[in-house]
Amino acid sequence: METLLDLWAAYGSTIAFAMVNALFALSTYAVLSTGVLSFTTVVFAAVGGFLAAQSVAHLGIGLWPAFALAGIGGAVAGSVVAAAFLKLDSHWMALASLALVLITRVTVLNTPLLTGGVNGLVVPMSVPMGDLVILLALVAAVFWRLHRSWYGLAARAVREDAAVASTMGIPPRGIQFTAFVISGAVGGIGGAALAFTLQFISPETYFIGMAFTMIASTVLGGSFHWFGPIVGAAVFTALPVTMQSVLPAIEDVAKGVVLLVIMIFLPRGLVDPRAVGLRRAARRRVSAEEGTDV
Amino acid sequence: MIDRNKLAGMGAGLLAATVMFGAGTAGAQPAAGEYVFGFVTETTGPLAAAGVSYHRGAQVAVEEINASKWIGSGVTVKLSEKESGSDAARAVQAMTQFVADRNVLAVTCCILSPVAGAMRPVAANAKIPLVFYGATLPGLPQPPYVSSVVALPGPQEVKMTQLIVDKMKPKSVAYFVNADNEGFQNRFKAAQKVMEGAGVKTAGVVSILSADTDFTAPATQAMGMNPDLIMVWTTQTPAAGIIAALRNRGYAGAITASDVIAPNAVFKKIGEPLAGVPFPIAFAAGVSSSPEAKAFADAFQKKFGELPDTYAAQGYTSVWYMSQGLKSLSGKANREALATALAKVGSIEHNVYGGLPMVAGQADVQKALVVNWSKDGKVVAWEPK
Amino acid sequence: MILFLEQALNGWALGSLYALFGIGFGLVFSTLGILNAAHGTYASWAAIVGYYVVERAGLPFPVAVGVGVAAGGLLALAVDQIAFQPLRSRKAGMLGALITSIAFWIILDSLAGFATEQQSLAFPAASFPSGMIDIGPMKVGQLQLIIIAVLIVCTIGIHLLIQKTRLGTAMRAVGWNEVAAALGGVNARMVILLTAFLAGATSGLAGVLAGAATSNVSFTLGEGLMLKGFAAVVVGGYDDVRGTAIAGILLGIIEVFVAQYVSTALRDGFTYSLLLIFLVARPRGLFGSAGFVRA
Repeated sequence: METLLDLWAAYGSTIAFAMVNALFALSTYAVLSTGVLSFTTVVFAAVGGFLAAQSVAHLGIGLWPAFALAGIGGAVAGSVVAAAFLKLDSHWMALASLALVLITRVTVLNTPLLTGGVNGLVVPMSVPMGDLVILLALVAAVFWRLHRSWYGLAARAVREDAAVASTMGIPPRGIQFTAFVISGAVGGIGGAALAFTLQFISPETYFIGMAFTMIASTVLGGSFHWFGPIVGAAVFTALPVTMQSVLPAIEDVAKGVVLLVIMIFLPRGLVDPRAVGLRRAARRRVSAEEGTDV
Repeated sequence: MIDRNKLAGMGAGLLAATVMFGAGTAGAQPAAGEYVFGFVTETTGPLAAAGVSYHRGAQVAVEEINASKWIGSGVTVKLSEKESGSDAARAVQAMTQFVADRNVLAVTCCILSPVAGAMRPVAANAKIPLVFYGATLPGLPQPPYVSSVVALPGPQEVKMTQLIVDKMKPKSVAYFVNADNEGFQNRFKAAQKVMEGAGVKTAGVVSILSADTDFTAPATQAMGMNPDLIMVWTTQTPAAGIIAALRNRGYAGAITASDVIAPNAVFKKIGEPLAGVPFPIAFAAGVSSSPEAKAFADAFQKKFGELPDTYAAQGYTSVWYMSQGLKSLSGKANREALATALAKVGSIEHNVYGGLPMVAGQADVQKALVVNWSKDGKVVAWEPK
Repeated sequence: MILFLEQALNGWALGSLYALFGIGFGLVFSTLGILNAAHGTYASWAAIVGYYVVERAGLPFPVAVGVGVAAGGLLALAVDQIAFQPLRSRKAGMLGALITSIAFWIILDSLAGFATEQQSLAFPAASFPSGMIDIGPMKVGQLQLIIIAVLIVCTIGIHLLIQKTRLGTAMRAVGWNEVAAALGGVNARMVILLTAFLAGATSGLAGVLAGAATSNVSFTLGEGLMLKGFAAVVVGGYDDVRGTAIAGILLGIIEVFVAQYVSTALRDGFTYSLLLIFLVARPRGLFGSAGFVRA
């Protein structure tokens, strides 16, 4: 029992970070599932994180109202970004969102009244593991519901071929705009969750490293189903910890190699609905053929 | 007869220990066994160069403590390392793993103040002693659990600046300072106050950012101010780059810097342009003359083939400080007892600084040296011309 | 006035490095359609290899530049073949390649740290043209002039290569549509290999020169170049090397002047705000052709 408790204590924070990263990955997935590659989740996370930290410190609000506020802040940021960037074509969109990440850090650095500037901000509240689980479950439930809705169907159509989708009466821009608002809300909530997990945020918290972590988590897990990003975030967060215990001397190299190998052999990610479908079809075919043989 | 001598010697030792530690702890020692200190390393990532030094210094301290049975017979200490790469999230995860490992008695970490800031609540909540070996933001310690063996900057800089005013008598000074590092802003302000108090004009202030690498333009800017003296109050890579760029552009006047240019690697990289640039420092192998400093320098040289730098000395001090707390415990040591013991430490007994008082969990180096690199790459006491 | 001119030249030289790196980055992006996160490491590795050529092998600086450039190119080739080719053959698109490039970024950055023993190294001042030249009352670094000249030569050379030669036509065709280009008789694989090499070599050249000019040979070198080179590509338009060159130079000059006359703290804010304005107001960059639409 004691060893179990020890294990929990040792890897509890890794699990917490994995759940926070899952929120970021879901935020990235929200736009990616409509065919837009964007790194702006970092921006939404920064908005949500600093908003939550400041409102907890100065307005004295509780944990869940802070999450709500962060979500709203992120959604507003998401709609602004969508309004400015959606006219760009896909390649420019990716570059523009990366540029926005760089601008975010400079902004955070130069507004010390709001963000604590270079010294960062102590967050006077922490999120209990139970609340984090509930939060992720709630967000996942929303994605599950969306996946099965008209919106989910429309999003997949836009991703496959925007031109074809629009001939079917689906407005690609409208769908993508909605995706950005969802991405913003989830990213903002994730930013707040990170702030409450780390209990300290600084300009470096929301920067390039995070941008690449979230996109890698999303694609590694699989960007064709909402469950993929959650799996991807878990794997990508656990990877350094695992590598540290296996190959401490070259843990970063090992982490890169694992990521590389998975992507080369499973380019559609760990969770791939198409592969599941194909396997099912193959099984049906095999059993059907066996049936004819006998 | 022999036995009686021994006894007398022990008695004297006990007496000395009693004086040093205060009554009540003399004679007690923790139960025999191996005690583990968690060490969050930063040997990869942006600060890896310094991170390697901190870690090496700590290793030397462990060897000395174990070889001399300093804590007590049968009591040894051991480091358990986890890498953070100077990343706050990774550091926090390393910390929680140490917290979960019941063998780990205390943890030492952190070069960057933001990372230290993130670690502090974790340690306080988990009730585990945490000792900072590198971060210098004022107000980080939080007794009894969180303490720092790194003296805050300020007094050293003031001392050197005063010396410069007295010896070099400059009329105007140009300053380089990090726009994005409050520690160096404070050092710069302290120096500027001394200068202006002595009637030395500020020719101008050139600010740079920590991540900058090209200093041709800032050097041109500073030289355009025609100062008698240029003071460089920046982090390491910029400081080295600025001095190289100034000399390269033909600036022949006086330059001063801070202890960031002390590590061997900086001289190896920049070479002769660094020679003669004075900087204040708490510990410099070869200049620091206390027996502890010499022994440390020798042991480090033997193990790693080079002299220890100021960062190595800080890693070394951290382990000695934790061991001193451990030594004052009796019976089975635990984290809370160690935290209480560490909070009671009034000065770190074994140090390379010629005295290291601890005030409210914060070390305070009182004796600063002013040194410079010689042309052949040795740190020597500065002799004003 | 002399200070002003000296600073303008400092900015020009600095910006030339951004541009030179950006050209390589943009080439991969426009021709191969890959947002390559590992591109900065080519510059770091080129500089590191160049450093060891001077320091360990004792060879002269021009040789170091040549070896460094070759190393950058070969590294880019290796990364392309290991990380991008398998995905290309499966038509996995830009996304998969982005992730494998992130993987290589992690790997190569970490290995670069080991290669320099986590230190920041510097070319010995005596090993490269580090002296100053007096032009009238102005002082100009020899290496600065070399960097400025190198960018001009590379820009013209690569521009002509892309616009006037058969290879360039093939490169543009592959960038437009790989399948169509192959149907049109272009050896797409050869073009991809050559482009990857050229891009790695150009950025490697920027890496070696920047390593010497800034006394910083380490894994942080590429990251710095990447952030600014990226800005040059966006402002200049990624499908035109002339745009990247001019944008890079402008960014360098603006950076130096903002630091000199306004504030260093706001310097990067200035650069990236400019970037944002360009993105929103003129999303195809300085020379971007409005008719050029990529699927």
